[in-house]
Amino acid sequence: MSLSISYDSSFDGFLSVVFETYRQRLDVGDIVPERPYDSDVTPSVDLFMQPFHVETNADSASRLRRAVVNMAGEDVLNLLETAFRSEERGVEMKILAYLRVLFSKSDPGFARNPTSSEMLPLFLLARAVRHEAGGMLGMVRFNKAPDGSYIAEIEPKYDILEMIVGHFRGRFPNGRWAIVDVKRCYGAFYDGRHTEILDLPDTDTLSRSIAEKAPPDEFTRMWKSYYDTMAIKERLNPRLLRRCLPVRYWKHLHERQQNLAGPASRPTA
Amino acid sequence: MNLQEKLNILGDAAKYDVSCSSSGSSRGAPKGGLGSGCSAGICHTWSADGRCISLLKVLFSNACKYDCAYCINRRSNDIPRATFTPRELIDLTLEFYRRNYIEGLFLSSAVVGSPDATMEKLVYVAKELRTVHRFGGYIHLKAIPGASPRLLYEAGLYADRSSVNVEIPSDRQLQYLAPEKNYESIFRPMNFLAERKLEYSAGKRSRYTPKFLPAGQSTQMIVGASGESDLQILRLSAGFYHQQRMKRVYFSGYIPVNADKRLPALTTKPPLLREHRLYQADWLMRFYHFGHEEILDESNPNLDPDLDPKAMWALRHPEFFPIDLQTADYEMILRVPGIGVKSAQLIVSGRRFCKIRLEQLKKMGVVLKRAKYFIFNPDVPANLRRLYPEMLRPLLIARPKPAQLDFFSQLQAPSLPAPAQLSIAV
Ligand code: SF4
Repeated sequence: MSLSISYDSSFDGFLSVVFETYRQRLDVGDIVPERPYDSDVTPSVDLFMQPFHVETNADSASRLRRAVVNMAGEDVLNLLETAFRSEERGVEMKILAYLRVLFSKSDPGFARNPTSSEMLPLFLLARAVRHEAGGMLGMVRFNKAPDGSYIAEIEPKYDILEMIVGHFRGRFPNGRWAIVDVKRCYGAFYDGRHTEILDLPDTDTLSRSIAEKAPPDEFTRMWKSYYDTMAIKERLNPRLLRRCLPVRYWKHLHERQQNLAGPASRPTA
Repeated sequence: MNLQEKLNILGDAAKYDVSCSSSGSSRGAPKGGLGSGCSAGICHTWSADGRCISLLKVLFSNACKYDCAYCINRRSNDIPRATFTPRELIDLTLEFYRRNYIEGLFLSSAVVGSPDATMEKLVYVAKELRTVHRFGGYIHLKAIPGASPRLLYEAGLYADRSSVNVEIPSDRQLQYLAPEKNYESIFRPMNFLAERKLEYSAGKRSRYTPKFLPAGQSTQMIVGASGESDLQILRLSAGFYHQQRMKRVYFSGYIPVNADKRLPALTTKPPLLREHRLYQADWLMRFYHFGHEEILDESNPNLDPDLDPKAMWALRHPEFFPIDLQTADYEMILRVPGIGVKSAQLIVSGRRFCKIRLEQLKKMGVVLKRAKYFIFNPDVPANLRRLYPEMLRPLLIARPKPAQLDFFSQLQAPSLPAPAQLSIAV
C-alpha cells in the first residue's frame, strides 16, 4: 500500500520527506502539507493510502539541498523552492518527479532543461510566483502608526513575503516597519537594523489589531482621491483594470476601497 | 484652498500625460535617507481606465500663459487654477512614498510667468528632495520648452528621467494648434539633454561624478488630433529612438477636451484601437528587432485595424515561412505571430536538449491558433505548411469586431517588474 506522507509544510520539511523516501525506499502515493490556514487542503482520508508522517530534519534537508546544487545548480534549487512557495496542491509530487529523474542520472541534459515535461510545470509555477512577488512590491500599502512606524497587511496568493522583504529593507533602511501576511499569520518586522520573521495570532484578531494600531489618515484619503481623479472617464475600462489589478488584491488597496471613513468600515474577512 | 483640493486640480490637469514609467534607474537608498530605484520599474496600482500608476504625477501649477488648442490648461479655458508650494509638494511626495503608494514624483507644469521661472520651480523641488531629504526614489521632471540650458542641466543632475512632449507629430500642425510653440523650441531642450547625457556617458567618471538623467528621456505624441499617418508617426518615433536616444515614445489617443474648430469635435471617441496598434508597432521596434520601414512604407502608410502589425508583416512576407523552431534564429522565431519574447527564449534554451513538441509550445503560452501556420513542425498537418496570405488573413482576424482593446495590458505595463530572470540553461 502506498503512503500518504504528511509534513509540517515548510520547504525543509518537504526536503526531509524526499530524503526519507530515498533512505527508507518509501512507496509514495501523495505528499500533503499540514497547513493550518488552508482548510480545503486538509488531507481527505484516502482508504487506499496509509498515513505516514515525516518530521523535519535540518540535516537531511541540507544534504538534499547540496545534492541538488551539485547536480543541477544553485538557480535550479532556487527555482524549486520558488515553485514550492506557490503552495499549489500537488506541487510536492511534481518536484519529487523532477528530483527522481535528476537523481536517476539517466539523461545528462535533463537537469537544466526548462522544457522537459517534469520541469516545465515547475518553471511556469515559479514564474507565476515571481510575478506575484514582483507585483507585490508595488501593492504593499503601509499605514502610519502614531509611534512613527509603518504597518502593512498583505494577503498574497502565494507565500511570497520573504521574497519581498529585502526590497523594502533597501528602500526604507532607517524606518521601522512591518509587513504582515494576514492569511498565513506571520509577519516581517524591521526595527531599523534587523528583520525578524514572527508567527502571529489568528487572522481576525490580527487584522483588527493592525487596523486599530494604524488607521487610515489624511494622506490615505488624499491618495484615494488622487487615485480617483487619475482615471480618464472617456477611457474607462473595467476589464482591463481587472486584468492588470486582479480583484483579489483590492481588499488591501486603499485606493480601491469605496469607503475610507475608518476602521469600522473595513471589509471583514 | 486646502492641499487636498490642490492635489485634485493639479493631478487632474496632469493625467493626460501618458508616461508613468519608473524604470531605468537602479539605486540604493542614500545614506541616512530613504528610497531606491528599481531598474525594471514598479507599478503601484492601476486607475479605473487600466493605466498603471507608478509616480505621483502632478503639475506644479496649471495657470498657463500659453494657449495650445488641445490642452485642458490653456489660458482661454475657464477652469479652477492652483499652484503648489514646494513644501506641500515635497511633503506629499515623501508621505506617499513612505506608504509605498508611489515610486516617486513626476513633476510637470504649465508655463507660469516665463519658461525659466517655471523650470526653476521644478528644479528646486527636485533638488530639495535629493539633497535635503536624501530622497532616492524616482524623479521625472518635465523640461519646459524655452528654459535655459543652465536649468536643464541642473534638472538632469537631480532627475532620473526628463521629457519634452512633442504632442503633435508634425511641425506645421503643431504651430497651427499651439501658436506659441514650434519644433525648434521642442527639439532644442531635447537635443541639449541628449548631448549632455552622451557627454556624461562618454566622459571619465568616478563613483563621485553625479549621474546625469540615468533613465534617459521620453516623449509623447497625441494621435488623432491632426491628420498625420501612422507611417509619419512611426518614422518620427524611430528618429527619437535613434537620434535623441529616447527610452520611450508614448502615444496618446486624442480625447477632445476643448471645443475648437481646429480640432475633432467634442463628441469624437478617442481612437483607442489606433493607439493600441501604434503601441504594438512600437513594441516590435523596441523588443522584436523590427525597423519602422519594415512595418510600414509609402504604399502601406497605415496600420491594419483588424490585424496586429506582426501578423501583418508575416502575411506580407510568406517567403520567410514556415520556419523550423529547432534550427531557426532567435530573431526569426520572434517574428512568428503567436510567439512572444518569453516563449521564444524558452524555445531557444530548451531545443538544445530535446525536440520541441506542440504540446510543450502550448504549455509555454504560445498561441498555436496563430503560430501553427508559420512553423514547420512534425506535429503540424502537412497541408498547413504552405502559406497563402489571402486564405490566412481571415483566419488570423480573431474576432471581427475590434474587441481586442483589452490587449493593452501587454503593452501598457512596460514597468511591470521582472525580478531576476532565471538564467536556466540560457
Ligand atoms: S504650454 Fe502646456 S500647459 Fe500650457 S496650454 Fe500648452 S500644453 Fe497646456
